[in-house]
Amino acid sequence: MELVQIQRSLVDYTKSLFMEGFLDAQFLQLQQLQDDSNPDFVFEVVSLFFEDSEKLLNELIIALDQPNVDFKKIDSHVHQLKGSSSSIGAQRVKNACIAFRNYCDVQNIEGCLTCLQQVKQECYLVKNKFETLFRLEQQIMASGGSVPTIELGF
Amino acid sequence: MNPSNGNGSMSTASSSGAWDGRDQFPAGLRVLVVDDDPTCLMIFEKMLKACLYQVTKCNKAETALSVLREHKNEFDIVISDVHMPDMDGFELLKHITSEMDLPVILISADARKQVVMEGVTYGACDYLIKPVRIETLKNIWQHVVRKKARNTV
Repeated sequence: MELVQIQRSLVDYTKSLFMEGFLDAQFLQLQQLQDDSNPDFVFEVVSLFFEDSEKLLNELIIALDQPNVDFKKIDSHVHQLKGSSSSIGAQRVKNACIAFRNYCDVQNIEGCLTCLQQVKQECYLVKNKFETLFRLEQQIMASGGSVPTIELGF
Repeated sequence: MNPSNGNGSMSTASSSGAWDGRDQFPAGLRVLVVDDDPTCLMIFEKMLKACLYQVTKCNKAETALSVLREHKNEFDIVISDVHMPDMDGFELLKHITSEMDLPVILISADARKQVVMEGVTYGACDYLIKPVRIETLKNIWQHVVRKKARNTV
């Protein structure tokens, strides 16, 4: 595929992620922070997020499986996941965390279990989206091109 | 770059002394940022550096407090997350306000009024809600100036 076509694909793909709510404006903040001195910044932060969120999700699975569920602990983990997901612009993950916390507040275990599944699902989905995004970027750079910047004016 | 590990370590930017370059102000503002979440800490550090501040990061409040005690007068402002496992942001804030005269900004994904109220009542000069934008961080120098101005009255 020609470089211009791949660049076009990247722009369209990124826009679709915003349209479908996977990403929000905070992601643009991350892209703005990336520069020549730190060309892999977005990739590094996103990778760190998924590494860390996997640990948090595992903690949540264990915590919800206890005979006496510690809702404070669960709330703390979900709160952290909400903070980190919102910081990278992973909007659907963040929203799933908000719903999760509401069930935590009323100590509804069934609700929490459902929300946990939803958070896991949203993390899985956005992770795949990011992988596609990074793959397109790599293709562009391998072809000697530069990654086009996205403006949220569409 | 030395990323903070789970043992409460910290990494320091350059070790220059007092910040006194008025012409370049607020470049060189000496910031200590504390957050136990590694993703957020990484983003804050990058944003603060993009503001041309001198950044030291900590992933534990206890470590942050020791650093501040050992290196008094080497920081202009502290930015701290509220919900941290060992010592939370409120406790850190209380220690800082009683032991030293540094402005403290609290940050949290928790936007509930009572939590923000608590932070402000305990003396936080600002309370920011995550996700924080770089534009917000570009303005934090005003808290340093305000505090200094109050102190010289």
